[in-house]
Amino acid sequence: MARAKLDEVTKIFTEDDGSEVVAVDDVTLDIDDGEFLVLVGPSGCGKSTTLRMVAGLETITDGEIRLDGTVINDVPAKDRDIAMVFQSYALYPHMSVRGNMSFGLEESTNLGDDEIAKRVEESAGMMGIGDLLDRKPSDLSGGQQQRVALGRAIVRDPAVFLMDEPLSNLDAKLRAQMRTELQRLQNELDVTTIYVTHDQTEAMTMGDRIAILDDGELQQVGTPLECYHRPKNLFVAGFIGDPPMNFLQVTNEDGTLIDHSFEYPLPPQVASAVEGTDSLVLGVRPEDIELEPDQSRADDHTISATIDVVEPMGDENVVYLRLADGATVARPDLAEQDAAEGTDVNDAAVEGSDDAKGGIAGESRSTIIATIGGMQHFDDGQDISIRIPPDAIHVFDADSTEALHNRTLQDADAVPGI
Amino acid sequence: MTTAPPQETDSTSSDGIRALPLRTAGYYLLLLGLVVFYLLPMETGFMTSIKTAVGVRESLPFLLPGTDLSFQIPFVEFDVDTMLEQTTDEKWRDAYDTLSRGMVNSMLFTIPSTILCAIFGSMAAYGLTLVKWRGQVFVLALFIAGIFIPYQAVIIPLTELYGFIDLQYRLGAIWALPFLSEERHPTILELIITHTAYGIPICTVLFRAQYQTMSWEMIEAARLDGAGLWRIYRRIVLPLSIPMFSVVFIFQFTQIWNEFLFSVTLIRSSVDEAASVTLILGQLGQAIEGTDFPLRMAGAFVAAAPTIVVYILFTDKFAEGVRV
Repeated sequence: MARAKLDEVTKIFTEDDGSEVVAVDDVTLDIDDGEFLVLVGPSGCGKSTTLRMVAGLETITDGEIRLDGTVINDVPAKDRDIAMVFQSYALYPHMSVRGNMSFGLEESTNLGDDEIAKRVEESAGMMGIGDLLDRKPSDLSGGQQQRVALGRAIVRDPAVFLMDEPLSNLDAKLRAQMRTELQRLQNELDVTTIYVTHDQTEAMTMGDRIAILDDGELQQVGTPLECYHRPKNLFVAGFIGDPPMNFLQVTNEDGTLIDHSFEYPLPPQVASAVEGTDSLVLGVRPEDIELEPDQSRADDHTISATIDVVEPMGDENVVYLRLADGATVARPDLAEQDAAEGTDVNDAAVEGSDDAKGGIAGESRSTIIATIGGMQHFDDGQDISIRIPPDAIHVFDADSTEALHNRTLQDADAVPGI
Repeated sequence: MTTAPPQETDSTSSDGIRALPLRTAGYYLLLLGLVVFYLLPMETGFMTSIKTAVGVRESLPFLLPGTDLSFQIPFVEFDVDTMLEQTTDEKWRDAYDTLSRGMVNSMLFTIPSTILCAIFGSMAAYGLTLVKWRGQVFVLALFIAGIFIPYQAVIIPLTELYGFIDLQYRLGAIWALPFLSEERHPTILELIITHTAYGIPICTVLFRAQYQTMSWEMIEAARLDGAGLWRIYRRIVLPLSIPMFSVVFIFQFTQIWNEFLFSVTLIRSSVDEAASVTLILGQLGQAIEGTDFPLRMAGAFVAAAPTIVVYILFTDKFAEGVRV
């Protein structure tokens, strides 16, 4: 068990043609003893590179990584007392499960054979793979291989666990199951863990804290709910939450948000927070939008819209709405950023998957998404009003993308971690 | 029916031959033709090798001793007594007696060279593929260039080199040890070194092809598990390359065993103490009175036997290795 600290860590890759790519830019993170930190971000954001630097699999261009106060920049991977679970599991195919699990102990400790055997059986029991010990990895299912990979890390009893998208090769059901199991296990073992994923659901549900990375830069570190309710900028707001937050491009005229199809007066304290910034983005989460079928009850905070598609989920309906006159929901700032990203995605290959939930920019933004109770019924093509409650709005500076105002939480104290 | 896949004939085998589609029959006919085509030279060689001098003169090469073609049905003249009269195992005995000395010599340099090539090739490939360091590409280029150096280009430098080094003189004390002789073993050692050096590049490339398909994450996992460079090779990479070792063993063994040019260059004469099997085989059955074909044929079989044994020994793993 240990406290891990990343201090202004930077990683620059030099390409074959001599050009330099900044994969990780000045990242500072402090991970407490026993904490479960999730590094999350889209493909190519540098999260895997960060993890690999902690592991010692990549050199550190600049900055320091400390483990319990000791700088480990120049400590080789084999001496770092760190165990890692890989996306591909990376089991040794020629060894039995027992061989896979005892390998690390044989290589990194002086323990006797009996002690190693005892520890392996203990950990295998904990992972529920006690009866698979004499099988080869090729005889195991994906889920079982995943357990062996975890068991191989656990048996080492390392200072830090690193996990690089360990669940992404499992099917959806097994993934949800392993998610809870991993949390239970981490609680039980109380080992400092850094977990990399591109899946915001995993980040939200598993982490004590999550760190959101984009384009090599740390966007925000905080508890899941903090990041959800108090995003620091447009990127975090759009990345965390599924379906994602809705954004409307607006201009600020003396405390009123203006778009060519609507005007939205801001409450006084929000108006003062955004004073002096003309170009703004109004953000609202799908679950905060209220649908008002009776258009005669429209007020200052309603916008007329047409229902495009309703996706019934059972417990809730996801409603896709088109705003009247096709109001501007575009986000040119992020679209630009996305286009630029395309050229310098350097560790996308390492991270493997590109179905990041954060793909908010670059696509058509003329649709607003609202989630409503499963018992409310609407028809496709119906004209209605949508109400955006003033206490649920987020306002961002369209140029700097910083959050100027986050929603008010009446019961902030009742929500732990905010 | 003619387009039906061959498997279907199995399920309808109750119909017997009538169910055999024309196409399948065609395949079998073609296969039979190929079998004959490939085996006929072997068969001819074997038939010749068991014939007496008279037998060679009086029967067609590919027929049994004492057999001749005729123009009357059944077109073959065959007589058991004549056959026995014209059959002999003498040539095989002769060939074995003459070649056994060379076989031992060839074994003495082929086996160590094969093993050394495989081990060094595997280690070099590991260092060039699964370990990252600067200047790797340049070193790899040297290895690849090594494959393309023609034998003819090195024979003169080779004799010069060993003339200069003079293993017989420099390692003098070693040759005085029991079971070693000054006339024989220095040349054997020269051959071991030469064949090993010449075989390493191609072995490296073969192993490298396999190591490139190995999972990086697995190697990294081993590093994080606390294993160093050597331990990763010993415990992960080496066990996983056993099939490739079989491929390399078969390939290099055959290559070195059959090699002739280095033998001629370094051993020079078939009467030398260290003469290899290929060198002696070249002279076998050649005399002023004429060529003893049965002896040459028997000699060829005897000389080829070890390569066949090696194939049989490593077949299973070989099949696994070429699939990689």
